[in-house]
This record gives sequence, structure tokens and C-alpha cells, in this order.
Amino acid sequence: MKHEVELIDGVESLAKPKLDTATRFEKRKKIYQALEDRDTTVLVDDDDPLESTMVLNMGPSHPATHGVLRIALKLDGETIVAAVPELGYLHRAMEKLAENKTYHEWMPYSDRLDYMSPYSNNTALCLAVEKLGDFKVPERAQYIRTIACEIARISSHLLSIGSMLMDSGAVTIFLYTFQEREEIYDVFDMLTGARFTVSHCRIGGVASDISQECVDFIKNWLKEFKKKLSDWRKLVDRNRIFIERLEGVGYISKEDAIAIGLTGPNLRASGVAYDIRRAEPYMIYDRFEFNTPVLENGDCYSRYLIRMLEMEESVKIIEQALKQLPKGDVRIDNAKQAYAWKGEIYHSMEALIHDFMMTHEGLQLPKGEIYHAIEAPKGELGFYIQSDGSGFPWRLKIRSPSFCNLQALPQMVEGGMISDVVVVIGSLDPVMGEADK
Amino acid sequence: MQTKNPPIKRIKLSFLERLYLPEIFKGMAYTFAQMFKPKFTMSYPEVKWKPKPVFRGRPVLVERADKTGERCVACGLCARVCPPLAISMQANETELPQERHPITFEINMLRCIYCGYCEEVCPEEAIVMSDEYDITYHTRQKAIMDKQQLLVPMEKVQARLDFLREYKNAVRNAAEQAVGEDAKK
Repeated sequence: MKHEVELIDGVESLAKPKLDTATRFEKRKKIYQALEDRDTTVLVDDDDPLESTMVLNMGPSHPATHGVLRIALKLDGETIVAAVPELGYLHRAMEKLAENKTYHEWMPYSDRLDYMSPYSNNTALCLAVEKLGDFKVPERAQYIRTIACEIARISSHLLSIGSMLMDSGAVTIFLYTFQEREEIYDVFDMLTGARFTVSHCRIGGVASDISQECVDFIKNWLKEFKKKLSDWRKLVDRNRIFIERLEGVGYISKEDAIAIGLTGPNLRASGVAYDIRRAEPYMIYDRFEFNTPVLENGDCYSRYLIRMLEMEESVKIIEQALKQLPKGDVRIDNAKQAYAWKGEIYHSMEALIHDFMMTHEGLQLPKGEIYHAIEAPKGELGFYIQSDGSGFPWRLKIRSPSFCNLQALPQMVEGGMISDVVVVIGSLDPVMGEADK
Repeated sequence: MQTKNPPIKRIKLSFLERLYLPEIFKGMAYTFAQMFKPKFTMSYPEVKWKPKPVFRGRPVLVERADKTGERCVACGLCARVCPPLAISMQANETELPQERHPITFEINMLRCIYCGYCEEVCPEEAIVMSDEYDITYHTRQKAIMDKQQLLVPMEKVQARLDFLREYKNAVRNAAEQAVGEDAKK
């Protein structure tokens, strides 16, 4: 017995700062008091004296939460009284990592943000860095980026629609959309060399040129895709079962959508015509003719329909971009801004030195801060960079659309039925890789 | 807060659409038509997918054309640029014409993310992405590939080297670029 007491004392002595006996006694007394109070005090919720509500945990690993999203739901029967989304299960310290990597080195990490459309993330980062350094990217590179970004948008929307329909009971469409996504992966394979994590965009251009084979493949695929898209729309758009399941579910008004900070298709489904491709055209979007579809309802059905409409617009943009695709370089021909051409590196000492300098020191950007946002498939994807003039970003902040869109979730589900939660999450289309960063 | 009747414009369906049956038959007809389409899937691993030269597979070290050793001069650029820090090497002098070579060269394939940066910065065309994609190991130790496992003869990666020369290294000189119809004028 004596031995045990000694052991406990020894453990206590390790605690810092060391407390004197009087304080320790007082603290213990408080703890005992608190424990006693808890035993005797019954907490009664004024609104719910009979405790008829129940708390349900949804997630973090739930098939309908699209990743590791946890939602604590307070239920009254089947009605949701309160919903609290909890994020952070996929936190990988992306922003902190960026401070220890050169801009060029960090670029592949951006693939892992919104992994449904890696090319958009690559482009967003490169555009932000280029804006800070005031680089003039060659036309051809911008066209390749635009084509790839729009294909990425289609890929992301296909997943969103497929999984949303699956959540609401239509499993077959999911398989059709995934077959199309497989084709899109083939396009990316041909264009970038990887199917999923493309890492193709480079600061100052793109990594490799687009081949004729790839251009032909995209054109053929677009033809088939347009047909399939109209088939699906005929199948689903005016299906009574589908409409009754989704119409009026997860309603959010125009004012609330703006106040919460929704962006992308979710905002446009509530009746706000805000598309960064039109509001502040970046790259070459001002050269293409396309509409920004806007729907008024702000419910799950319009969030489904707007994605269908946007895919049609994306097809238009890709077709125009392929038609206008100019000749030229795909990377800046300036060894201070982008990697020198390998042909030069093999033969010229100066280019070799630049190759070494760029790799070791990173890009030498001016001091300052910059914010650049693009219209990613999920909404406004922005990169805020603070540069101290070295090759590493001093601070890099990601404004990720999924994170901001998830804020609307409580408002969309509270007061609704529990079975609507999965549909609302599907219609919001969050990707946790991006929300948790 | 959600209510049963949010202020939205409801979709008006026609009489035919309000009946369930036509929609069901439409769906079944579309699904039935899919049966006669060519098979989309591939019976892997019996049928293997052949990657194109553009594909970024396992990074490998290229052997010298005279088969006397690796091209690598152990400059350490690939190890520096590698975002997940998968590459490590130890340089030494050699009798080969390049005078320097790595005595150890390791790529931890559990770390590799196949981004292709090593290939992009290499000033000797010594490390390239091969077309191997199904790489498995039984232990973590086996995932760390040493120089002997990485070294491949040049003929094996010739397609990739040709691709690099055409599309990555000297695009400006390529006469045959894919251009759009409008840009040709």
C-alpha cells in the first residue's frame, strides 16, 4: 500500500509547474464539488422537458457524405432540429506545407485539394503565382489550360450528378456517368500523362504540348458525350419520381445564399448570376461565347439541373477552344520565369545554371501579396499568396469553395426530414479534400 | 429553416408525365439498349492496358548506350525537386566518361507520386518515367528501389525519350503542332 502512494507522488512530481499543497488541496476540492454537483443536478432543456429529441452521428465514414464529413444531427422523430457539420478529418496541413516548398514544388499538392477536378486547382495556383510575378503566358498554353479546365469541370459535375442521383435512388445513372468519367480520364492520360493527379500545369505554361491524337480524341468524345448528355436529360429531368424527391428540398433563398457565401453552381441555382469566368474573366474566357445558366428556385432540383446546363456550356467552350487553338510555345521562353527548354539545357551552360537555380532557389518573385480566384467546378477557388521575395511563399491561403459551401448545410437541412440530408449533401457537392485542406 | 412549402416555382408536368408508367418504360428501354453496346470494361489482369509514351509510370534510371553503367551524374537535382522527398543518392567519382556517378540511388516507391518532376529537371536524360504501372511489394523494405532495380536499358524507354524530345524539350521547333481550324488561316 505504501509503495503505491509513493508511486503516485512520484508521478505528480513530474507535473509542471509544481503546485504547493494548499493550492492542490483547493483544486481537488473544486473537482470533488463539481463531481458531486453533477450527480445531484438534473439538467432540463427548457424547450424539451421530456427529452424527445435524439442525437444522431452521421459520418465521418458514411457512404453518402462524400468523404469524411461528420454531421451531428439532433432529431425530433424524423425531423431535424439542428445539424452541426464537423470538418477536419482529412486535414493535411496543405497551407503549412506550402510554406516549406517552392511554388513549383508545391504544385502537385494542389492536385489533392479538389481531387475531382485536379486541373482546375493546378491552374488556380499557377495563375495566382503568375499574377504576382506579372508573367505573360503564351496563348497556346492558355488554350490548353482552358480546355483541360473545362473537361475537369465536366468530370466533376458528372460525379456530382451521378452520386446525387444515386443518393436519391437512381443507381443506374451513376454507372453511366462513371463510364463517361473513364473516358475523361483517358483524355487526361493522353494530354497530361496521368489519369487522376495530373500535375500538368506549370508556372509559366504547361508541362507538355497537346498532341494531334489527343485533339482528335477529345473531338470524338465530345460528339458522343453531347448525345449521351441529352439522353440523360430526357431520362431524368422530367421524371416525376425524381422531381418529387428533390423539388423544394434543401431550399436556400437568394439573400441567404449571398450572406453565407455560396459560390459556383450552388449560388447560381439560387438565382444569383455570378460566374467569375464572366464577372472578371481570367485567362481567355472573354473570347468564348457561352451562357451562365441561372435558376431561381434554390432547391436540390435546381442544383441538379444547373450542373447539367453547365456541362452543356462547357462543351461549347471546349469546342470553340479546340477550333481557335493557336500555334506556338507552351511555356514562357524566359529562364527567370519558367524552366528553360531541355534542348537548351543539354547544350548551353547558361540554361543549365538556370535549371539548377530554379530547382534549388525556386522562383524569384517580387515582395507582395496577391489574391487570384478562378471559377472551379465547385465555386470560387482562390489562392492568397504573401511573398517575402524568396522562392517560398511566406503564407499561402486557400479559399476553397467546398469549405464555404458547407456552411449552408445546417440551414438547408434544419426543419427538413432526415432522409433529405443525403440528397442535400449530394446537391451541395462538397469534396472533403478541399474543405479540410 | 426548411418548410414544407418553400417559395419556389413548381414544375408543371403533363398528364403523360404524371403517370409513372411511361417514365419507367423509358428508363427500361434506355437500359436495355445499353446491353447491345460494345463492352467497355477490360478483363485485367488477363488483358493488360498498354500505356502510351505520354504516360508517367515508375521512374527508372537509363543505362548508357554502351551498356557500361548509368547516365546519371549524381547532380542531385531530382532529389531536390522531388515534392515528397522520395529520392536519395550518394555521389562518387567513376572511370566512365561522365566522371561522376551515384554509388547509391534509391527511390522510395511508397513516397513517389509520379509527378514526373525528376524527369523534367534532369539535365542528362538519365531518369525518365517508364510505362510500368502495376507495382506491388510484399514488404515496405522492398518498396525502396535501389540502383540495380531502377536501371533499365535505353531501348526499353526509347518511346518515352522520343516523346520527351518531341513534346516537352523542344516544342518550339516542332513543325507539326496540333492547331485549330480557325488558327490555320
